[in-house]
Amino acid sequence: MPNTPTSPASYQLALQQLCDSALPTGGFAHSLGFESYIDRGLVHDEQSFGVWLTAFVGQQLTYSDALAIRFFYEGDALPELDSLLTAQLLPRQLREASVKMGGRLLEIGAEIFPSPDLAEYRELVSSGRAAGHQPLAFAVVARSLGIPLAETLAGYLFAAVTSLTQNAVRAIPLGQNAGQRLLRKAADDVAAAAGRAGQLDRSDFGAVSPGLEISQMRHERQRARMFMS
Amino acid sequence: MATHQYHRGALRVLRPHYLDDSGQVCYVVVNPGGAYLGADLYVMDVEVADGAKLLLTTQSATKIYRTPGSFAEQRMRLRLGERSQLELAPDQLIAYRESSYRQNTHISMHPTSSLVMTEVITPGWSPDGASFRYEELRLRTEIHVESGGNSGLLALDNLLIRPPQHDVTGMGFMEGFSHVGSLIVVDARVDQGLADELHSLAGGHDAYTGVSLTATVDGISGLVLRSLSNSTGELNRLLGTCSALLRRRWHGTSPLDLRKY
Repeated sequence: MPNTPTSPASYQLALQQLCDSALPTGGFAHSLGFESYIDRGLVHDEQSFGVWLTAFVGQQLTYSDALAIRFFYEGDALPELDSLLTAQLLPRQLREASVKMGGRLLEIGAEIFPSPDLAEYRELVSSGRAAGHQPLAFAVVARSLGIPLAETLAGYLFAAVTSLTQNAVRAIPLGQNAGQRLLRKAADDVAAAAGRAGQLDRSDFGAVSPGLEISQMRHERQRARMFMS
Repeated sequence: MATHQYHRGALRVLRPHYLDDSGQVCYVVVNPGGAYLGADLYVMDVEVADGAKLLLTTQSATKIYRTPGSFAEQRMRLRLGERSQLELAPDQLIAYRESSYRQNTHISMHPTSSLVMTEVITPGWSPDGASFRYEELRLRTEIHVESGGNSGLLALDNLLIRPPQHDVTGMGFMEGFSHVGSLIVVDARVDQGLADELHSLAGGHDAYTGVSLTATVDGISGLVLRSLSNSTGELNRLLGTCSALLRRRWHGTSPLDLRKY
């Protein structure tokens, strides 16, 4: 009887490390706008956070992050994609969060998964020709490791959702099991978002709902807050 | 001073006039047909010469009627020369049931030019009184800053509302409101203090509003104010208050009074 293959895909463990919430990019410091909804009393339990998370995955993560990753995989030039993200992230704190976490990912990536593409992106950032956004930094590292687009998208989106859910568990607060139930449901949204991102086109890039944007903008002036965004 | 104007087809431009003695020329775009229909394409090209001041508005609301299996489209290109000023203040856009509309606005400006643009989107009347009976609204605005052969993208504002695809009414989308208002200002004098000031002004209105600074390109930044409400009048008052502050402070002119009605 032949042995059952047990070797993982070459990129499997690298992808797990990139998506691990222990990867120190600083995600624990960002609510990406949901703290405004907590402040208004609209997000206050498992169910209400789930509504926000579904909207965030279907809007922000699909039309901005996932599309940027897909366009990079399809060969769009880094400087153009980077500047599209900078221009499209209209709420200042969102833009700063993306660049802050992107910068950490570029640093960590250079130490653990160096590649010519990553060196090029770092060079663009250090010379002031790019800002260094989180989804692009992730895409550059993932593509250099040979991770297929579908896996990269699902991994990136689910890592983002995990980080936000962990933050909600602390901030609302919610029980640990509630957090896991939320993640299980968010997995369906992530799968749908990854599929959706494959069907949109360049004119769709950056179409984020007004409600999410306004809440992200209002966070700048919120008095009591745990998060930087 | 107006140097050149041209129109053809369904859109007209009224003879330019002056509202005050500031030197700002006012152009009014008129759609004698009264509405945009399926497969209509409206193209506008505007050049504001070095040092010129332009106010561009419409004679009445832009109405999008049913566009079965198709969409109405507006493409606008605006170029702002050095030290020029553009105030873009169209009446509200009204999207009726079963309408689809795409608006593409491409603006290129110089680091010394000044842009103030406002926009209000209103759902049109429908027999059942519901607000989101239109098919799709797509309003995409790109603002580039150009000087000495260099060009940088300052802001990309992409608003896409497609009520038939999913519920757009609630949390994370329209937050229970039906109308959207936007103000974009790009000017070397835009700073965090101004953004905070406009945020405070907006607080006095019955609307849910956010204001934030855009990125900086070539030393110039912008700000975006976005507001949700259930009333066109409320959004027009809010945007009018903001534009009045900018007109007074930067140009010493009085609030816009277009006396259209």
